[in-house]
Amino acid sequence: MSEPELQIPEGWEGRAPDGWEWQTLWEAVEEGDHTYSHDRVQQAIDADIDPRIILDDGLFPGFNLQGDRFSEQIIFIPEMLITARAMKAGLALIRPLLAAMAEKPLGTFVMGTVLGDMHDIGQSIVTIMLENAGFKVINLGTDVHPDRFIETAAEEEADLVGFSALLSTTVYYQKVTIEEFEKAGHRDKVHILIGGAPTTQEWANECGADGWGKDAMEAVKLARRLVAEKREAWV
Amino acid sequence: MSEAIELRISEDGRQRTVSATRGETLLDTAHRAGVEITATCGKRGRCRSCRCKVVSGTLPPPSVADNVQLGHEEVRERFRLACQTRLIDDTVIRPMPPKSEAGHQLLGGQAETTAMALDSGVQKLAITVEPPKSEHHQTSDIEEVMAALGDKLTTRDTRTDLLRDLPAKMRAKKGELTATLFRGKIVDIEPGDTTAQAYGMAFDIGTTSIVGSLLDLATGEQLAAVGMVNPQAPFGADLMSRIAYAQFNPKNLAQLRGKALNALNELIGQAVEKAGIEARHIYKVVVVGNTCMHHILLGIDVSYLGLAPYAPVVRDAQAIPAPDLPLKAAPSAHICTLPILAGFVGADAMACVLATGIYDSDEIRGLVDIGTNGEMVLGSKDRLIACSAPAGPAFEGAQIRHGMRGALGAIERVSIDQDVTCGVIGGEAAVGICGSGLIEACARMSDANVINASGAIKDKPGLPSAVSQRIHKGDHGQEFVLVWGSQGGKDEDITLTQGDIRQLQLAKSAIYSGVAMLMKEMGVGADDLAELLVCGGFGNYVDLPSAVRIRLLPEMPVDRITYAGNAALMGAQMATLSETELDRATELIGRIEHVALAARPDFQDLFIDGMGFGAPGPAVTEPEAVAV
Repeated sequence: MSEPELQIPEGWEGRAPDGWEWQTLWEAVEEGDHTYSHDRVQQAIDADIDPRIILDDGLFPGFNLQGDRFSEQIIFIPEMLITARAMKAGLALIRPLLAAMAEKPLGTFVMGTVLGDMHDIGQSIVTIMLENAGFKVINLGTDVHPDRFIETAAEEEADLVGFSALLSTTVYYQKVTIEEFEKAGHRDKVHILIGGAPTTQEWANECGADGWGKDAMEAVKLARRLVAEKREAWV
Repeated sequence: MSEAIELRISEDGRQRTVSATRGETLLDTAHRAGVEITATCGKRGRCRSCRCKVVSGTLPPPSVADNVQLGHEEVRERFRLACQTRLIDDTVIRPMPPKSEAGHQLLGGQAETTAMALDSGVQKLAITVEPPKSEHHQTSDIEEVMAALGDKLTTRDTRTDLLRDLPAKMRAKKGELTATLFRGKIVDIEPGDTTAQAYGMAFDIGTTSIVGSLLDLATGEQLAAVGMVNPQAPFGADLMSRIAYAQFNPKNLAQLRGKALNALNELIGQAVEKAGIEARHIYKVVVVGNTCMHHILLGIDVSYLGLAPYAPVVRDAQAIPAPDLPLKAAPSAHICTLPILAGFVGADAMACVLATGIYDSDEIRGLVDIGTNGEMVLGSKDRLIACSAPAGPAFEGAQIRHGMRGALGAIERVSIDQDVTCGVIGGEAAVGICGSGLIEACARMSDANVINASGAIKDKPGLPSAVSQRIHKGDHGQEFVLVWGSQGGKDEDITLTQGDIRQLQLAKSAIYSGVAMLMKEMGVGADDLAELLVCGGFGNYVDLPSAVRIRLLPEMPVDRITYAGNAALMGAQMATLSETELDRATELIGRIEHVALAARPDFQDLFIDGMGFGAPGPAVTEPEAVAV
């Protein structure tokens, strides 16, 4: 394993005005400076830089660097959270612009922690990271009844549903929730992802999920891959 | 590192220093040095003659005899019985202080103290009964026994098995019988006079280990101490995996219950043998434990205990006749449980509250039971609040790559200057690291700037080269070598991996943020706490300054943090000896407010903040021990 490094987007200079620099934004996102992230993204918008370029060249490099470090345990939950929040502060400014440009989200993701489980941190990190990656995420919070997952997925015509479970006693409800999707006749309309500390790939297979996110970064990669695979239409 | 420590004895303005070993009693150490401390009862903890005051240094945890003889207020004022108190570190004592700190005279046995009432609820009465003589006299054997017991008997309800062999017993020694009552009900009838033999047993069933204590109900003397690893451990190291095993599966629940019952039977057997008593003379067995252990022992379905809102099935104190549990090793006993506060604040936390007496403290005190499931209580006589936070088994050495329990060969002490030096239990070659070693290692690695405030292991310029060489990237990411393979008792290096440190960060933040949440709820800071009592078997061994250094315990002067020892067991012992204490627990349950952390949105921020270790570099030096 080698130490993750900042991946500088190739040819960024050609996509930015003369004299522009992104280095400070990469560092701000890496270090979790949400005030600077917000301000610099505003400056970029004012300088008429394409919002897609702000996202790819400005926000993602620092975020991806921290994401890789998180996967290798070089940084931990607190640092990952402040980076995710700094990214979100910048993203909040460009999201309406992306929407106005008729940029479609990558997909719609319904997220939550299963019934009986109050753990919030993990799923909120995954939520921010999915949003940052371009998904529309409907976060149902914690202690979510299977029916709410199903109703929300149907209303939103979701592409993916993810349930987190952080207790060995509540992973049971990941299986139950998947069974409920089947009973409701919706199982083949969504990709179902599971995650959480006590879960494993074996458990994901056993409970009938389509994928297991080892950590937040993996979950995002998995979501990107799965969303490309067509499911049955909602209507 | 050696186990040698110092006891200083301060008397008549003079101080004598005696070298001592950990675990030795104050009295034995003093006697070895020729310091006369009177032990009228023969070192049995049955009188007050050897009491002393711990004037500075590390305050050793109290025993149940301290509570029986001195009462919890004197215990809180740092008085101890020298014959019962075991040294854990350097300590300064003053024998038999003529006056208390408040200045009022302390007399001998007649002193007005808060000494605990010895009212176990067990009464043994020697009676003489004449068998019925005339057929015209409408009576029966048991009615004659009941008549002899008079108003001591409050219920005529008697177990059938006591009747079966009553005729022979009644006629064996000219009608001389001993009847035993528990809470006014006949629980045993024996021929002859056995009134001197009345015993009780106290148990703390922890997720990881079970400890028990056999007590003489008349005097409070401890006759035997026993313990074992909880045999349920193979079915899950932490509470949630234990619950998951039994969840919606009555067969597995029965299996776990069987394990617990077997353990209690075995430990009672061992205690009875050690003390040379008869098992039938054990009349009261008080069991404390977290809600899950409690429910499993009673065979209560735990399925929903593992799911939000984590509600217990029952909270009230129970009293179950041994044959109904069944507890075969103590056939005459009632098994009594302390009340439960909430799903994860169990009877063990209640026992800690009883043992430490924080319920009548004028000042605000904190109580932390560090275990697989951490429980915390904060407050004073005015208000008490409690919460629980799952620390997981990292403190027991589990889920740590080279982790192990605190047994021979475990690294328990770590120091870092030009290189790393490890202290190993038993002085053997190191084979792993235990929870206290893990805490000390992280504290010293923070001091030495090997890990930064957020817990990352990083090689930096300025580290001594021998220390720097220990940082490398292995198969499990970044690691720090504590003991090189060539010097340890294992073929491989004993390391702390980045993942180990992440596990410890989660575990210690659970405790730290739990306490922080209670302080926030109470509107106080660490400066406002008169004392922080650290309980749990684990709490006996952890280095307190290191625990503060890594932010496991709140940032406060170490001299206001004290070890309370296994307070859960002590509370169980007190409830065994005293119905007053047991009733107090029931009264307290209504007074303690439960703070449900998971339901508090502000807890998450505290938890995230609690994961950090604090700035790297040497910690602020400890205050010097106060000279006397």
